[in-house]
Amino acid sequence: MFEEASEVLENMLKWSFPLSLVLFLVLVCPLRAEAAHEFSVYRMQQYDLQGQTYGSRNAILNTEARTVDAEVLSRRCVMVRLADFSYEKYQKALRQSAGAVVIILPQNMSTMPQDIVQQFMELEPELLATETIVPVYFALEDEELLSIYTQTQISSSSQGSSSAAEVLLHTATANGFQMVTSGAQSKAVSDWAITSLEGRLTGAGGEDLPTIVLVAHYDSFGVAPWLSYGADSNGSGVAVLLELARLFSRLYSYKRTHAGYNLLFFLSGGGKFNYQGTKRWLEDNLDHTDSSLLQDNVAFVLCLDTLGNSDNLHLHVSKPPKEGSPQHALLRELETVAAHQHPDLKFSMVHKKINLADDTLAWEHERFGIRRLPAFTLSHLESHRSPARHSIMDMRSVSSLEGAGEDTAGPHVDLTKLSRNTKVIAEALARVIYNLTEKGVGGDLQIFTEQMQVQEDQLASLVDWLTAQPRAAQLLDKDSSIVNTLEYYLSRYLKDVKRHLVRADKRDPEFVFYDQLKQTMNAYRVKPAIFDLLLAVCIASYLGVLYLAVQNFGLLYGFLRRVTAPRVKQH
Amino acid sequence: MTLFHFGNCFSLAYFPYFITYKCSGLSEYNAFWRCVQAGATYLFVQLCKMLFLATFFPTWEGGAGVYDFVGEFMKATVDLADLLGLHLVMSRNAGKGEYKIMVAAMGWATAELIMSRCIPLWVGARGIEFDWKYIQMSFDSNISLVHYIAMAAVVWMFTRYDLPKSFRLPVTILLGLCVYKGFLMELFVHVFLLGSWTALLVKAVLTGAISLCSLFLFVTLVHSN
Repeated sequence: MFEEASEVLENMLKWSFPLSLVLFLVLVCPLRAEAAHEFSVYRMQQYDLQGQTYGSRNAILNTEARTVDAEVLSRRCVMVRLADFSYEKYQKALRQSAGAVVIILPQNMSTMPQDIVQQFMELEPELLATETIVPVYFALEDEELLSIYTQTQISSSSQGSSSAAEVLLHTATANGFQMVTSGAQSKAVSDWAITSLEGRLTGAGGEDLPTIVLVAHYDSFGVAPWLSYGADSNGSGVAVLLELARLFSRLYSYKRTHAGYNLLFFLSGGGKFNYQGTKRWLEDNLDHTDSSLLQDNVAFVLCLDTLGNSDNLHLHVSKPPKEGSPQHALLRELETVAAHQHPDLKFSMVHKKINLADDTLAWEHERFGIRRLPAFTLSHLESHRSPARHSIMDMRSVSSLEGAGEDTAGPHVDLTKLSRNTKVIAEALARVIYNLTEKGVGGDLQIFTEQMQVQEDQLASLVDWLTAQPRAAQLLDKDSSIVNTLEYYLSRYLKDVKRHLVRADKRDPEFVFYDQLKQTMNAYRVKPAIFDLLLAVCIASYLGVLYLAVQNFGLLYGFLRRVTAPRVKQH
Repeated sequence: MTLFHFGNCFSLAYFPYFITYKCSGLSEYNAFWRCVQAGATYLFVQLCKMLFLATFFPTWEGGAGVYDFVGEFMKATVDLADLLGLHLVMSRNAGKGEYKIMVAAMGWATAELIMSRCIPLWVGARGIEFDWKYIQMSFDSNISLVHYIAMAAVVWMFTRYDLPKSFRLPVTILLGLCVYKGFLMELFVHVFLLGSWTALLVKAVLTGAISLCSLFLFVTLVHSN
């Protein structure tokens, strides 16, 4: 049979060369299988700051999935749900050199109880501090992912506890999952530019006027850059700054209310990475230019950081202000306004010396303090180490109009409190600029009312827009829509709006960002190797039975013959 | 071990054909080239059917869940061309009835196997993702082999001039069942909402019944002289 087969095939091949070419291409082309499920995963932070490496180093993944209670975790992808996540389990996975960790977050964070959110927020900096070569991913949960998780959990927890027969049955029925990420190994992004924006309102009455600087950093930080929305920290600060810009530009547009102070507004980038934007801006303005507003007569620098919630307000200083200085004036005005106009607000000053031995600076005003400019930071947080400043749980989840009595898990922005804080700051600033206390104006007089009032809708829309997309510094380059929109907004109210770029130094970079922060993960259903062998044995036995059946087909034939023709035999 | 899985499916699909070829004695008659010719006829008939369907049958624009019984019935009727094709192959081969039937059926079924199962198996079973449907596809090809043998036998019987009157009706019924078997299967699946393994079982039972009946009739016909 084989000789004639080869002869026939030879003839056929001669005529069907194009066909065989097509066939060859089909065989050689890479295989793109359909996955059981495809979903986006967001990688944990990876960056270098001042030479120190943080976060997860690796990005590629092609391993089997297990849940954290399985015994063997090495070279497997460990899947954990947020509700079950704890630091010990994470350490256990790392110790056993797991292939990867995937943390599954619920779609709607407000369904999570308060204590789990709190616990996770406290864990975030620890996760980042442990430098690891294991890629850590975050995924948002949906139905298929949940079913994959439950199936993996069932198979993981039943290992090593059953007899051989059960294991065999198990392999035939259970599904394993292979997790594969698309994308390449992560590498450093070269030449990333952090953008900062400045704008000014020039005071009335000649030269050499004192300058007040208002600063807020617009980027956000969390354990996964693509999930850091930074509502309170520092979306609230940006919203306050923009609203103040609008109000004071309105005041300055009338001759009678045009005050004798220059107002300089600065939106700094890279704030969560040790205030890179501010640092370079100060260097450029103080060291490299001949004349700048910052060099001459700076009354004080007010940094706005996390003002969206709570009934506390703290003024953080590195040196208590001296009597008679403009800073002391602001401090006094803030106390007056808080006491007379908003008695529910508790205002206090917090004194913390700049500690240059620390890895990172505490508050933004310390950058200015190092350059001998009088500065303070206003925040509702008492400590710079508060987990609310670097958490992915900081999302704008509920507006003040909806559940007012609801207890929303995690930090968020409360609009009434935000607008109240904006008003307090605006009133205090106005009292300083117009010197109202010296002129004998009582603490009860409110300037920002009626047409000049703080617009809560404006603040709401700003916060909504800011939290609609992640604002991590690694994701905002100079062409990003957020930077462009901020620039446009500032140029509506302020003059001389300029961009300021910071690029890391080539030889000794202060900051290095890495890419591959968002990838697509495919989950493929797989069977264990034993299954294939089992199947081969079954098929071999089936073929054996078939062979016997065909060989003995004659028996069936003879039987039917005898059944159908009994008459023939009788003659 | 995904190439292994492909090997499993491949052997499950192809080996029965190989076994049948060897054990039915066709190799002694140098029937390979004739089987290939039967396969070529299969390709030609499928091409004609596709052209006919594309030209004369409009696409169904009804709701997604509604099953177009009438339309699918008409489409199944076009499968009568299969019978014509088988008849054509058998009439060109000289020899005993069994020889003709086996050659036609083997060539036809092998051509169908290569054309409709090869590429899905290669592309699908080799991937990382596991799915039971490839094993099911291979089983289905085994069932198809039996089905085509039965169909060829029934066609041969239908065209015999010495077919007794009493056999006309059963043979015609069997012929009809063969042609509409695909349609009936889809109907069952739709109405009873069968799972894939159950559908396979039903198909196997149906084919088994048809082939037993046709074998019975064949034996009676051949040995009644």
